[in-house]
Amino acid sequence: MTYAVALAQINPVCGDLAHNVALHVEQTKRALDAGADLVVFPELSLSGYVLKDQTLDVMRTPDCAEFAPLRELSRHISICAGFAEEGSDGIPYNSAFYMEDGEVRHVHRKMYLPTHGMFEELKFFGRGRELSVFETRLGRLGMVICRDLFHPLEVSTMAALGVQLLLAPSAMPARGFEGDTLAIEQTVALALGSASTFLGMFVAYANRVGFDDGLGFYGGSALSDPMGGITVAAPRFDEDLVVGRVDLSHIAKRRYQLPIRREEDLAIVRHALNGGRDVS
Amino acid sequence: MNTTLELNNDLVYTFLQHFLREEFRSSGFTEASIALSGGLDSAFVLKLTVDSLGADHVHAIFLPYRTSSAESRRDARSMMEFCGLPWKELDISAMADAYLALQPGIDRLRAGNLMARLRMAVIFDQSKRENALVVGTSNKSELLVGYSTWYGDMACALMPIGDLYKTQVRSLAHHVGIPEEIIAKPPSADLWAGQTDEGEIGVPYETLDQILYLLVDARCTPDEVAAQGFDAGLVDRIQHKILTSQFKRVAPPIAKLSQRTVGIDFLYPRDWRA
Repeated sequence: MTYAVALAQINPVCGDLAHNVALHVEQTKRALDAGADLVVFPELSLSGYVLKDQTLDVMRTPDCAEFAPLRELSRHISICAGFAEEGSDGIPYNSAFYMEDGEVRHVHRKMYLPTHGMFEELKFFGRGRELSVFETRLGRLGMVICRDLFHPLEVSTMAALGVQLLLAPSAMPARGFEGDTLAIEQTVALALGSASTFLGMFVAYANRVGFDDGLGFYGGSALSDPMGGITVAAPRFDEDLVVGRVDLSHIAKRRYQLPIRREEDLAIVRHALNGGRDVS
Repeated sequence: MNTTLELNNDLVYTFLQHFLREEFRSSGFTEASIALSGGLDSAFVLKLTVDSLGADHVHAIFLPYRTSSAESRRDARSMMEFCGLPWKELDISAMADAYLALQPGIDRLRAGNLMARLRMAVIFDQSKRENALVVGTSNKSELLVGYSTWYGDMACALMPIGDLYKTQVRSLAHHVGIPEEIIAKPPSADLWAGQTDEGEIGVPYETLDQILYLLVDARCTPDEVAAQGFDAGLVDRIQHKILTSQFKRVAPPIAKLSQRTVGIDFLYPRDWRA
């Protein structure tokens, strides 16, 4: 199976749901016109990132009325977008939904919420505690949000669970301006490279651009392919919509060429995690 | 350690232009006001702002006191010409002297702070007239050691070069072709004849910036910095300047009484526009 993935590198307005929904509708139509089967938006793309106390005002359930135009569009194109989720437990989560065939198929709650230095996510959001692996018309997908992508155990586990395409909506601020590329770009390239090169997964990394209170998000959205490395990449700093192709046969080809997955023996890991005792 | 302060100037300059454009757009302004001193920081900020917003949207003004040097006027003028802006000058001597006459024996630090705050009052009033945002010219070196006047030259709406050390600003200024005589002259607040930053802070910016980098960015202790070959007394003096100027870098503390207190748990982004 092959299909086309659009990465919508947008600059949402912090706290303005109506504006951001309209922006998502426009970009989704663009992706549809470009022949995409799936469009991926950045982290908190519907709400904005540096929300602080606006979190309470903009948190929504994924089936809320405001998102209806997107659910409707998902009859024609699958949509992954970030939003501040109002949990049924009354807790706000930093989440992303996957919509398909007119309905919400999956919601991932960000597991690792950076709260250090410039980041203060745990001050406003609850933690997600589940890995996201789910079946879709495009195959078995996984989802991570921004910092989740930097946790190799979780990413490896998703590969072990058969994820073919990992969706990675992100809001990575630019920092480290010394070299030819930003320091953060190099870190992301390592994460994408290891997921594709060693684990044999496609990764759709959608990062936003624009500024929230001096934090400048650098963009650089990319599709990472097990055979081809980064096959499409959006520019730094500017809004864009780029479309790349996923050819699922690349997964088997990569895993034949470099059979890490075939070698993998999870019993070794289970044994170690069980304190060196056999797992009964 | 010198290499640690080197930046990819192209990338930084592009990023700062995006920053200015977006901050202006998101706060609903198209016009910028900048007080030009004739020095490097305001020269670079002027060039950056003109490249970001267009010369037609930038209102720069030179605000001398009667003791300001001829070089300051010359260099401010050459920057205005370099950026294609009309010359604009407003002499603050009459304003300043009216107050100074009431304060016999005022020392030069107080007088210098007064000038900085009068310039602040003027640039903010001018910005209101132009419906403009005041773009600040403080750099990271002076923010960290507190070599600036609180509510004076620190007062502004945006600080595009607030995370750049002086030596990094100098390198960027070369990169964008700012006239050499402005880059090469000794940095000065020009509050009295012959004043230089380096004379007052007591160390060249090259050394200051490396010590600040180690203390702040690399999180070295003063002992670890001294172990890298810097004078221990100097490192301690700089550490002391950082500590004693902390009040200038934060909003004044508010005594918390209610459930939601401004700045403590009434938390919204600066760009709040819901």
